[in-house]
Amino acid sequence: MSATLPRTPRRIGAARRLEPYAYVAPTAALMIVLMLVPIAMVIGYSFLDNVILNKDPEVVGLDNYIEVITDPVFGTAIANTLVFVTASVAAHLLIGLAFAMMLNSRLLGPRVLAAFRGIFILPWLFTAAIVAVLWRMLLSPNGVVNYLLGALGFGDGTTEWLSDPGLALGSVTFINIWSGYPFFMISLLAGLQGIPADLYEAAKVDGAGPIQRFWNVTIPQLKPIIISMALLDFIWTSQQFALIWMTTGGGPIVATEMLSTYTYKLAFAKYEFALASTSAVLILLLSMVLAVLYVRHQRARD
Amino acid sequence: MSRSTRGRRTALTAVGAMTAAAAVLMTAGCSADSGDADGDVTIEFAQWWEPELPEGALRSIMDDFEAANPGITVELISGPYASTKEQLFAGAASGTMPDVVGLDGAWVSDFAKQGAIADLTSLMNEQGMDDSKLASQIQIDGATYMIPVVNFVYPLFVNTDLLSEAGIDQVPSTRTEFETAAKAITDLGSGASGWVLPLSLEAPNGIQNDVMSWNWASGGSMLTDSGQPDVTNADVASTVEYVKSLWDDGVIAAGSFTMKEQDKVEEFTNGRVGMMIDSLSHINLIQENNPDLNFDIAAIPAEDGYDGSRGIPYASWGIGVADGSDHQAEALKLVEYLMSADVNSELSTIANAFPGNVDSTPEFGDGKELFEKAFEIYQSGYPANEFTGLPVSEELMRQFDTELQKYLSGDESVDEMLSTVQDSWTAEF
Amino acid sequence: MTIQTSRRPGVSRGTRTNLARLALLLGLVAGATFAFAPVLWMLSSSFKPNTQIFEFPPRLVTEAFSFDAYARILTDPEKVRFFLNSYIVAGAVTLLTLLVAILAAYAFSRFEFPFKRPLNVVIVSVQAVPPITLLIPYFGLMVTLGLYNTYPGLILTYMVFTLPYAIIMMTGYFNTLPRELDEAVRVDGAGSWTALWRVLVPISVPGIVSVGVYTFMIAWNEYLFALTLTKTTDMRTVPIGIQLLMGQHSYEWNEMMAMSILGSIPVLVLFLFFQRFFIGGLASGAVKS
Repeated sequence: MSATLPRTPRRIGAARRLEPYAYVAPTAALMIVLMLVPIAMVIGYSFLDNVILNKDPEVVGLDNYIEVITDPVFGTAIANTLVFVTASVAAHLLIGLAFAMMLNSRLLGPRVLAAFRGIFILPWLFTAAIVAVLWRMLLSPNGVVNYLLGALGFGDGTTEWLSDPGLALGSVTFINIWSGYPFFMISLLAGLQGIPADLYEAAKVDGAGPIQRFWNVTIPQLKPIIISMALLDFIWTSQQFALIWMTTGGGPIVATEMLSTYTYKLAFAKYEFALASTSAVLILLLSMVLAVLYVRHQRARD
Repeated sequence: MSRSTRGRRTALTAVGAMTAAAAVLMTAGCSADSGDADGDVTIEFAQWWEPELPEGALRSIMDDFEAANPGITVELISGPYASTKEQLFAGAASGTMPDVVGLDGAWVSDFAKQGAIADLTSLMNEQGMDDSKLASQIQIDGATYMIPVVNFVYPLFVNTDLLSEAGIDQVPSTRTEFETAAKAITDLGSGASGWVLPLSLEAPNGIQNDVMSWNWASGGSMLTDSGQPDVTNADVASTVEYVKSLWDDGVIAAGSFTMKEQDKVEEFTNGRVGMMIDSLSHINLIQENNPDLNFDIAAIPAEDGYDGSRGIPYASWGIGVADGSDHQAEALKLVEYLMSADVNSELSTIANAFPGNVDSTPEFGDGKELFEKAFEIYQSGYPANEFTGLPVSEELMRQFDTELQKYLSGDESVDEMLSTVQDSWTAEF
Repeated sequence: MTIQTSRRPGVSRGTRTNLARLALLLGLVAGATFAFAPVLWMLSSSFKPNTQIFEFPPRLVTEAFSFDAYARILTDPEKVRFFLNSYIVAGAVTLLTLLVAILAAYAFSRFEFPFKRPLNVVIVSVQAVPPITLLIPYFGLMVTLGLYNTYPGLILTYMVFTLPYAIIMMTGYFNTLPRELDEAVRVDGAGSWTALWRVLVPISVPGIVSVGVYTFMIAWNEYLFALTLTKTTDMRTVPIGIQLLMGQHSYEWNEMMAMSILGSIPVLVLFLFFQRFFIGGLASGAVKS
């Protein structure tokens, strides 16, 4: 941080130029063989007519794209996915940050905090199928949640959290928030460790209170991590499938139909693999926009 | 400078070694295939039955088969029911479908169309297998693709305690009687509902078992004589209108729109619903979980005044042979073995199901009387499941389900509902 | 009386700390309730017979409390094998992902090279393809490569899914570290390899651990590809074992719950062990090694 060292002189030999490639080589090898090849196949499928079922599929150009984009359910799925994802990411960030800040406090003994750390990470330890089954039990009309709310005098204890078209999206989002925040919490907790203590000292000397220190030191320091995580969480949450499928199956009616459930049904319920691939490519394109923005942002920051 | 070069070289070497290791890892996988040097054959049998049956039961049947057919080894590949279809579909797409596959009637048409499963009619002819004892065969365009090994019928279950508490002394046999009984049970105010209707869109088979069954029980159909969709007919309309009237009466247990078959049976077992249409295979489960529950089974109520024979819905564990299998002869031997009278009796006994061989007689243990009663109902009526063998039949149920949910919610009228379904079904056929 | 008065300034500072401590504790307890209550119900259900799980009004502990479900799982060699497989796969994925990601992140953080940006876009966006649509091409690819039903097949698959996140996060951590740190070493004549492993990696331990925990969780909980890319029972993992308890007609509710509790305990222990890295802090000792 102190004296700037002279920049490394330009000793650009062949080895030096190749060096970064050597470092990314294992990643590149894996990603090309196991990611880009299958993705290329999916993109290829999206221009064919009913691939897989059809032994000799024909090229149909953009027909599949037109069919998917004009399907009103696809529009509903985009809208639901946006609500679900935006609410989930925002809540993950807020809860994750709040928990990380509390766990990072020095006001309580390390053992107490260690215990809480263990508890706070719990929701993350379970596979999506179990999370879905568990919450179906909790939220069923005869479940614990209704019982407790009834006992406390809220509502009449017969709320259909998952089966009421007006409530289902909110309930599913809530479940996803519960199961996903520890990921933010852990990364932010790690990020908090990386903030040099002298920044806080300097702010204190300047007379900043805890709230100002939070806004002027903590947040700017965590910003790169927050942005990366928000982007990734956005992408991952938009593909959350198992949780939605196993709680509501996209219903009631189309209340929780997401891009992921929509695509799944095209592939494995209608066996329209070409249309499913098309939908996947459209999702890829939407995320690509996000990815480009993200890389731009990284670039601007450098 | 020299040190820096060394460092770089180390980097390059290490990274190179790792890339190579990854490459080795990628190619090192085993690809042992069936068929060894000594002429022995291993056939793979993929199904979801093994985890459903008592521990080790299916394996021991396979052991008997291997003993009776020296030179053939059976490898059981077991997966969860909910994912079996995807697995088979993916396997078929890449030419690695197991030799013998467990099938659900809802998938047959799609796998047959994909060319994934073999035409059993010609295979049976080639191998000289006698099909005269098979209770049923599922055919697509005149050729058999699936043989139901065992069948699970879906009669009406009634909680007799709740029924008599509600002052109803007879198990309902008509729709009007059923509605009266359902209302009386709900009106007890004990928190119990008259009926339970699982409409989850994840597994929309409630449409087949719990909705369309009402139609079949009154001799109705949802198809034309040539097998085309005909959901706008008066029988289907009266069925959904009846379900709607039960819905409006408030006699259906809460949570319908996301409820699954597995939830339905828990509600009944806990005495929270008076009546349900359910798989016979649940009898033991209910008795085990709640020995104090008094219940009975009956035919599904028919329209008032209907006296024809009643269709009773069923689901099957079907079996098929992979079209790409190198060992179709051996695969068919396994099919033949499972369909033989004794083995089929044994299998239906442990599965709590009805046999797929007409000569087989299952021995039901506990709950014997109920099974025998069900068998009477089954024989006095006819097995009805019009979804079996239809293209994308699960999707057909889902489309019906979605529109039914709209109709029940009051978002559309019965005519709108049925004509929407008719259009979307016609598009799939 | 007098003593108290004389202490007043001190007391008020102490009171403020105590109030803050109380508020913090309240916040932690509220958070813990949110996190733990559903898990408590899972625990409770794992000790009940199947009927009582659905009884109304619900009870936390019933007279039929028993460890039967746990005993059934732990005495079933097939299910124990699921756990073993999950450890092997998740462990290998974690180590390999960290190794490969650290290298790539180093390149992204410290070097300028052509294709850096497009590569970055690719790494971020490939994750956006719904895995379900990759299933069929992927399956074919694995069969072709001879990796179907093998550990390497599953391990490499999970690495592809975990690498993007690991690289992005590690790049982020490396970016927060001043370039002067490693450049100082390089001015001394050491190569980039040394700078990475001797300087950057030791400082980044909290980041590495958090990425490692994430990687482990993904590999541990993944279901779809585990099911598709394996076929024999001796290759299946815990999530498949749990799904096998969800039958066509009925679920083994208590065994499902018990199995996922059993599955989570080792992960929790692992986390509790590694969490000391989250509280070490940047400056303390890490640089010294």
